[in-house]
Amino acid sequence: MSAPVVETRSLAKAYGLAPVLREVQLRLLAGTGAFIVGGNGAGKSTLLRILAGLEAPSAGHALVFGQDTRRLAARYRRRIGLMAHQSFLYPNLTARENLEFYGELYSLADPRASAHQWLGRVGLADAADIRVRAFSRGMEQRLSAARAMLAEPALLLLDEPFASLDHDGAEIVAALIRGAIERGACVLATTHGIPEIDGVELAVFEISRGRLMQHARKEEVRRGGRIRSLLGR
Amino acid sequence: MSGFAAVLRKDLRLELRSGESTLALLALSMLVLVVLVFALGAARVRSVDAAAGALWVAMVFAGMLGANRALLAERDNGAIRGLLLSPLDPSTLYAAKLCAALIFMAVAEVGAVILMVLFFNLDFDASMARLAPILALGAVGFSALATLLSAITGRTRGGDMLLPILAVPIFVPALIAGVKASAAALAGAPFESMGDWLKIMIAFDVLFVSAGYLLFEHVVGGD
Repeated sequence: MSAPVVETRSLAKAYGLAPVLREVQLRLLAGTGAFIVGGNGAGKSTLLRILAGLEAPSAGHALVFGQDTRRLAARYRRRIGLMAHQSFLYPNLTARENLEFYGELYSLADPRASAHQWLGRVGLADAADIRVRAFSRGMEQRLSAARAMLAEPALLLLDEPFASLDHDGAEIVAALIRGAIERGACVLATTHGIPEIDGVELAVFEISRGRLMQHARKEEVRRGGRIRSLLGR
Repeated sequence: MSGFAAVLRKDLRLELRSGESTLALLALSMLVLVVLVFALGAARVRSVDAAAGALWVAMVFAGMLGANRALLAERDNGAIRGLLLSPLDPSTLYAAKLCAALIFMAVAEVGAVILMVLFFNLDFDASMARLAPILALGAVGFSALATLLSAITGRTRGGDMLLPILAVPIFVPALIAGVKASAAALAGAPFESMGDWLKIMIAFDVLFVSAGYLLFEHVVGGD
């Protein structure tokens, strides 16, 4: 059995006296996708930030590629792609310049060619030389997806990847997620509702008040009344 | 090295595109010098001591603004988190930010020196060449300190106010040495006579750059 890409053991996080995550146990393998469903303030984004090494847990352990996320070396960080609420993009740089910059940070062989390729993949080839400050929220979200996936990470952490996207944008991001899983990446995404991604079997976790409450395949979740009502379906 | 070059090139590109930092630094330097010229009065406007003091006051204020702005761009859209998540070593990020702040400060210094010569009725002569290495030492030390401290204060509410409160007291020994050495240079004194002041400045430069290089990863963050 292959080693998990993501593993948490009794993970907990609190801000001051307010607990955000409690006793989170999670284990994800390469080539798998999972969605964490939950309401606002449930702890979804905090969990992703901890897995990305941007925040330290208060208790327990978070491991990616078998490494504690508190001390992730550069060679492990380069294998993680994070798409967060904030886009990590520079408003006064163009879409192309932003991707080329991140391509250089990740030491890609040809940052210019990679930027060109990814701008095409997210449907922004025509907007390549427009500054990000002039982008709509949806365009910025697509560019943020391209930034996160630019270096073809082995672990993709996506915080509400479909937020602000129109139908076409959502289709594009869904296709990128499917492509990432098919090439063997592990994808963990948070969402308020479960999206349709054809041809991919997704695990679904529900998080409520910091606890991972339920673990089911998407079809099971759709049959379950509790999550269905959570999603408003 | 490619990460260092990428961050520095990006910062310079952003600055060339907006010109915000350079213009703000030059405007602030001019404002400080004008205020001091009027405050000191006609009797002291040819005093090299007053000129050196005014120049360093302008430099310190400009340096704080420059360092703050160098990290401000990373707070937009949470870009600092993108940098911290990347394979870029935080120390390399510090070195790139320091270089960017140093370049902004150097531009402001050139402007401030020209304004100082005009406002204080000094002559453009060999003393200006002697002033250059002193200002360079001061710029390195202050940029190193302000870049480190702005990484801390940028995460706090009202950080802009906090930066001068933290930076100026720590920089005072180097500031005194810089003012004394500059006054001596403007008065035409040989380099040998200001050796002790220069040694103090070099020591503080080494201290501030080393502290920044070692501590930056512990103070920089996405919040």
